[in-house]
Order: sequence, then C-alpha cells, then structure tokens
Amino acid sequence: MSIFSTGLSGLNAAQNALSTTSNNISNVFTPGYNREEAILGERSTGGGVQVNDIQRQFDRYVADQLNGATSESSALDTYRNQVEQIDSLLADREAGLAPLMQGFFSSMEDLASSPADPAARQGVLGSADTLSAQFRSFDGYLRDMQEGVNGQIRDEVTQINNTTEQLAGVNRDISLARARDGEAANGLLNQRDQLVHELNERLGVRLDVQDGKAYNVSLPNGQPLVAGSQSFELQAIDSPDDPQRTVLGYRNSGGDVVPMEEDAVTGGNLGGLMSFRSETLDKTQNQIGQMAVSLATAFNEQHAEGVDLDGEAGGDFFEIGQPRTYAAVDNPGGAEIIDASFDTENIDRLRASDYTVKVTDSESDPPGFEVRQRDTGEVLGADELTFNDPNNDGSDATLSFGGVTLTFDDAGKLAENDSFEVQPVRNASGSLETAIGDLDRIAAASASGGTGNNENALAMQDLQDASVVGGSASLSGAYGAMVSDVGNRTNVVQVNLEARQGLTEQLEATQQSESGVNLDEEAANLIRYQQYYQANAKVIEAGKTMIDTILGLRA
Amino acid sequence: MRISTVTMFEQSVTSLNQQQSGFLDVSQQIASGRRVVNPSDDPQAASRAVGVDQSMAVTEQYTDSRVSARNTLSQSESVLNSVSDAVTSAKTLLVQASSDTLSDADRESVASELRGVYETLAGQANATDGNGRYLFGGYEDGSKPFVDNGNGNIEYVGSTEVRQQRIDASRLMEVSDSGQEIFQSVPSGAGYVAEARTGNNGDLTFKGPETLDADADNYGKRFEISFAEDGGTMTYSVSADGDPVAGMQGVTYQSGEPLQFGGLSMELQGSPEDGDGLSVGPADTMNTDLFKTLEKAIGVLENPAETSQEQSARRNTLNTAMRELDNSLDNVLTVRASMGARLNELDVVDSVSDNRMLNHEQALSDLVDLDYAEAISEYSMRQVGMQASQKTFADLKGMSLFQYL
Repeated sequence: MSIFSTGLSGLNAAQNALSTTSNNISNVFTPGYNREEAILGERSTGGGVQVNDIQRQFDRYVADQLNGATSESSALDTYRNQVEQIDSLLADREAGLAPLMQGFFSSMEDLASSPADPAARQGVLGSADTLSAQFRSFDGYLRDMQEGVNGQIRDEVTQINNTTEQLAGVNRDISLARARDGEAANGLLNQRDQLVHELNERLGVRLDVQDGKAYNVSLPNGQPLVAGSQSFELQAIDSPDDPQRTVLGYRNSGGDVVPMEEDAVTGGNLGGLMSFRSETLDKTQNQIGQMAVSLATAFNEQHAEGVDLDGEAGGDFFEIGQPRTYAAVDNPGGAEIIDASFDTENIDRLRASDYTVKVTDSESDPPGFEVRQRDTGEVLGADELTFNDPNNDGSDATLSFGGVTLTFDDAGKLAENDSFEVQPVRNASGSLETAIGDLDRIAAASASGGTGNNENALAMQDLQDASVVGGSASLSGAYGAMVSDVGNRTNVVQVNLEARQGLTEQLEATQQSESGVNLDEEAANLIRYQQYYQANAKVIEAGKTMIDTILGLRA
Repeated sequence: MRISTVTMFEQSVTSLNQQQSGFLDVSQQIASGRRVVNPSDDPQAASRAVGVDQSMAVTEQYTDSRVSARNTLSQSESVLNSVSDAVTSAKTLLVQASSDTLSDADRESVASELRGVYETLAGQANATDGNGRYLFGGYEDGSKPFVDNGNGNIEYVGSTEVRQQRIDASRLMEVSDSGQEIFQSVPSGAGYVAEARTGNNGDLTFKGPETLDADADNYGKRFEISFAEDGGTMTYSVSADGDPVAGMQGVTYQSGEPLQFGGLSMELQGSPEDGDGLSVGPADTMNTDLFKTLEKAIGVLENPAETSQEQSARRNTLNTAMRELDNSLDNVLTVRASMGARLNELDVVDSVSDNRMLNHEQALSDLVDLDYAEAISEYSMRQVGMQASQKTFADLKGMSLFQYL
C-alpha cells in the first residue's frame, strides 16, 4: 500500500476523532447525552488506520440503578412538597384550630361567670362561629389539596402517556435503523434511554431489554406500558368507590377501563402523590373530621341537658353533616344505603378512618359482613358490629359499627361481595356549623332553670378536658396528636429525601464519570487529534516530496 | 476517577443550595425567635407545645373566672358590711325603745327611725351587681329576691341554690350566698329564743333564757311554759317537744323566781293569767327572718300601749326581737366571714396559678423557643460555609484547559 493511502487513512481517522470530540464538546450540557469515543484500529492489510466504532459510553447497570434512585427521589420530593403544605398549615400557633378551641371554652367560662349576660352569650356564639368557620376552612384547605392531587394525577398520566408513546416510537425507529444499517445511531439510543429516565421520574417502572434491542417497560405489577413499538395508555378515572377521587385505570384486553389498586404505582411523582394521599392527606382529613364530630356530638349532648333562658330544654348547639357512603358501582346485589348517621350512644368508637363494608354471606340471618378499617387494614370483630332488622323483613335494617349506623333500604337485596365505602368523618369538619342564632337559646342553666343558674355552662366548659375524641383523648389532645403525626411524617419524608438524594447524586456522579463529558479531557483530545491530523498531512506531504524527487531525476 | 464537567458544576450548585437553605433556616429561626417553626422541625416538641398551650389557656380561664368571682364576692361583702351596720343600729334603737321612760311619741319616732333602717335593709337585700343582676337571689338573679307580699311583709322569692364558678381545676366555689341564707337564717350554735304567746292576758314578762348546761337532758328541744290556775294558785308546767318535763308540772308560780329546765334558766315576772304561756326554742326553730323581727318591733312601737298587758306584750316583743337581732347580726357576720375566707382563697389560688403559668411559659419556651447563643453561632458558621462554597464556585470558572489554548 502506498504512503498516500496510509496517510489518507490517518487523515480520515483524525477527522473522525476530531468530529467525535467536537460532538462531545457541543453536547457537554445536553441531558441524556452519553460521551462518545472514536475507537481506532489498525487496518489488517496494507497498513494504515481505520475507525472501528464511534462508541457510546453507556453503562446499562449504572443507568438502571440511577433510574431506580431517581424514581424514589422524585416520589419523596413530591411527597415532601405536598406534606409541607399541611405542616405549615399546622404551624400557626396563634391562628390555628387549637387557640380557637381555647377561645371557645374560655367564652364558656365567661358564660358560667354571668350566665344571663347578653355580652357573655354573644361571646359564646361568636367564638363558636369562629371555631366552626375555622374547621370548615381547614377542611376546605384539605379538600383543595385533594382536588390538587386529583389534577396532578391527571397531568402526570397525560405526561406518562406522551412519554410511553414516544418511547414506542423510538423503539420502532431503532429497529428500522437496525434493519437498514445494521446499527442505530447513538443519538436515537441516547434519546430512548433519556425517555426511560424521564419516565422513572414520573413513576417507577420495570425495564426489560428484549434480545438486547427493544425496550419493554411495565409497571411493578407487570402491567405493560411499552412493548416494542406498541404503547399502552394509563387512564385517570374517578374511583368507583368514591367519585371524588381520581385513581389510575388501564384498558384491559376487552377494551374496558379497569381501576388499579392505589398502591400499584410506586415511585416517581405519581407514586409520591398516591402515597401522600393515602398516608397523610386522607388521615389528616379524617382526624380533623373526627374532632369536629366529637366536638359537635359531645357538645350537643351536654347542651340538651340544660335549659335556655326561656326554660326550654337546650336544642342542638352545633350542626354536623352525616357520614358519607358509596356503593361500589359493580355491586351484584341491589341493596342501597338510604341513611347513614352517627351512633351517638357509641360515639366513643368513632375512629379517624374510612371503612369498607363487604357482604360475606347474604343467605344467613343476620347477613354476614366484613367491615375493614381502611387505615390499619384491620377487620372489625363480630362484637363490634350490630345488625338490627326492626321490621323482620329486611326493610330499614341497620348495621352499626365504629360510631356509625347505616340503614339499608332492604337488607334482603344484599348479595355476596356487595361492597360499600363508608367515610364517617372525612368531610365532617367542612359541615360544622353553629345551630344557634338566638342568644336566649344557649342552655347555660341546669334543668332547674333560673337566670343565675350556670350549672350547664360549667358542664360544657368541663368538656374541654373530657375524653370526647374516640373515648380516649380530649379535643386538644387529639389536635396535639395530629400535629405530632403530620410533623413526624413530614420530618421522616424530609430525612428520607435527603438520604435518597445523596445516593442519587452519588449515582449521578458515577454515571457521569462514565458517560459525562469532561471539557479538559476534550481540550486535550482536540490538541491531540489536531496534531494527529497535521502529522498525517505531513505523511502525505512526505509522499509527495518523495514522488517529486523521483520525477525530478529525469530533468 | 473521571469527573465530568457537568458533575463539577452541579456539585458546586448543589453545595451552594444546601448552604443557602441551611443559612435561611437559621435566619428564619432567629427572625421568629422560635426553634420549632413548623411541626416537622421537632414533632414531639410541637405536639407537647399544643398540650402546654392548652394548659395555659385553661389556667387563663380559671384566672378570668377568679376575677369575676372576686368581683361578685367583694360586692356582696361590701353590701353585707352595710347590712351589719344597719342591724347594729336597729339593735341600738330597740335598746333605746325598751326603756320605760320613753313616751309614746318618743317610741313613735324610734319606730320611724327603725322603719328607715328596715327600708335600708330591704334595699341592701335587693342589691344588684354592675350588670343589674341581684346579688342575693341565687339562681333567680333576674328579679328582686325580696318582695313585699302585699301585707306589708317582705318575703324571699329567690332561689336557695347559688351560683358556683370553677376558680381552679378542682375547685368549684360559691360566688354568692342566697338571701335566705343571709337574711332569714341564724348561725348554727345560736342559743335559745323565748317568745310570749300572742294571746297572753296577764302582764307576764321574761328575762333570758340563758344557757347553763348544754349537756343537760332535753337541751336542744323546744319548750312550752304554760300557766294554769289551780284553786286560786297560779301554777306552771313545762313541756319539751310536747312531752311533759318531769318535776316541772303544776309548779306554783312566784314572780321573779328563776326557773330552770333543760339546762336553761329564765326569770319570769308579773302575773300571768290562766292559759298564758311562752315558747322557748332553739333560735333556728323560732323566727329567723330579720325582716319579720323588725316588722314585729315596728308594729309594737307604732301602737301606743295603754294597758299593763299591752305594755308587757311590747316589752316581751322587744325582748324577743333584740335576741333575734343579735342572732341575725351573728349570721350576717358569719356569712361575711365566709365571703372573706373565699376572697382569701382566691388570692391564694391566684398566686399558685401565677406560679403555674410561669412554669407553663418556661416549659413552652424550652420546647419551642430558640437558644439565641446557639443560633447565632450557627448563623455565623453557615455564613462562612456559604461564602466558602461561593468562592469555590467562582474559582471553578477559571479552571479550564481551554484558557491556555
């Protein structure tokens, strides 16, 4: 082989190497870019150099680890952003619920000091109005957060569907390129790995590389999202148990949209939203609701013991909404819950939890029920359920548990596997109102009456220390428990996030040390390959000089 | 290890961010003076702070309650002060009126002075607090507790139950006393009161009774002394709660001779007639109503006594009335003393509660307040850290090989 072709192969290789280096430099800050290296090899015959490959520096093992860590970090990050909103809501010691409850009971003390004084009575009504308004605004805040979570789930699902669709497209492009050129461009491969990374930020997925080529992506439960060039859409749908709750669904082979369990998605923004909602938001709403119901029930009960300024027995002091129930849309039986109310006799059994009531046996008398407490997953014992069939024909039959009484239109229509969602206190605090508008209606006196009689006011004032919440905690104690709950959870999430972020950063550094571009290194390469180019040009020049010398001999 | 350019920049930015957020955290703590701003800063402390806050609010409630209790009690006490003065002056007037040297006109003028005292007392008994609530009406504090029953007599129509207030966690205190308790009662331990029968025809008068022996048989019972003429001799018999007292049946009466029964001693004078008599009973079984006492006294003073029977009746009535007034005065003073004791108790509870409040404040401060010394040293440390990472970042920009090409 001639010196020219050797020199030329060198020039070629140098150009390739220079273009790889300049590509590296230009993409130094491009997300998802993997550093490239020109791999040079000796030509097997005749000398010279050839470019074997422009190699993408990509480590599948590190990339998978980083994806997993990113997914967990972004879940915790989303969780933290949400839970910190509740954390700050509870931070205000001057304007939160606790000082307003204190203000309310302090107005009761004023009433006990001068039971017929219109100013004291006005004070009681005023502070009761403020307190119930604060309960409602608290509920409104949390309900807005529920709405916000619903909206964010919808957004995430849209983004996820976009990403999976793109991923399926890139899978197709890559397989086409492979078929055409035997190899796909590095750019496409980078793009695909970046899409998987982005997907992991939104939700945790499992990645299977089929035959070392096509990427298949699925949910942890095996539900496929991308299979080769095909993508499967997730759906954001109203929960069949609770229409105010957005959950995930997928289209099954029959084309029907099937809801997924809330814990089917873990990791990523979506997983963070899901676990924030079920662990913290639901619980906080229920805790506030439980306090509102306990306050209203205990207060109304004590108020009814007294008489007002006109000598009439005290009516309801507070108004509170009733428990919410939802029948599952696909219930096999036709029975409906026509009424749900608080079981004031057993109000100490009221818990800050939702329940799922399932019919286990519709043939027996009474029917068999399985009542599951949603927060702990515990099934209530038979002694905690009371079934009552007043007309002995199933009509208006009642089921009581956990401080709640459900009335069925006809228990005879219950069928096995019927399921009902019961939210005793979830939205209760949003319905708390003062029922009294007339000052004279406050029953400060005991049954013996008299304008100076303050016995019932004293008894109502004493409720501040009574164990009215769940039969075990005072109102202030329950509030303290809630503050501690939310504070702890926020704190745990913050600490976990910090640890997880540290790990993610470490993995990022590892990934970058393999795949990232170092400008100093590229600068050195630039010089190196520039000189390499010049040297090869010199080789050609030397060849020319040689030929010129030979040609000059004739002259 | 290869370090990518992105990693170098990102690490610098991350460290800048960390330093900055730590710095801001400390600044926020210093600005608010709180170590625990959000519950998540220290969940246990935040939740215990809710508890301490509640204890403080309750302590505050009881303090407010004591203010109004003290208000009511001191108003009542000052009214009772005037009441005891009035009763004392009524007593003085009665002593004056008992003198036999007084003319009917003199007595008439004493009577009108006494009526003035009576009216004053009636006014005091219907005293109101600043809000127009009657102090001595018990639960019925919206209307006058003492009213004229139409026959010129004053009656108590208030309630016997009185308002209590929670002045401390485990103390319900009565913040007033009912009018009945003050104006229609005698203190326990008040002695005997004697009263001549209204239909006496003779001119029997009495002195006493005096208690000689509180352990004697029949002491504490109500005695009736009845006179009967037995064959020209006047005799008397004594019964205790309706049962004849042994050895005191049909005893021959002699004017001026001391009489002893059931641990009591009396001196009877004058000549009773057949069927005359007197009742001698423990004060609480006799008339205990201050207004009735004064009404009786005014009644006899306003009517001139012509006959010796009438004069004896007047003397007897005044005698009984003075004894009853003494008891009423004792009663008013006892109630006043009890109010004074309650006011003292309020002071004691106040100082205990002040201490408790201090403890609560200390506890709350320990839980959530900032240790400034610590925070400020942390602040300076963070400042140094932040400046250092800013310097690192600034230096980073000069460290590129391209600068030398």
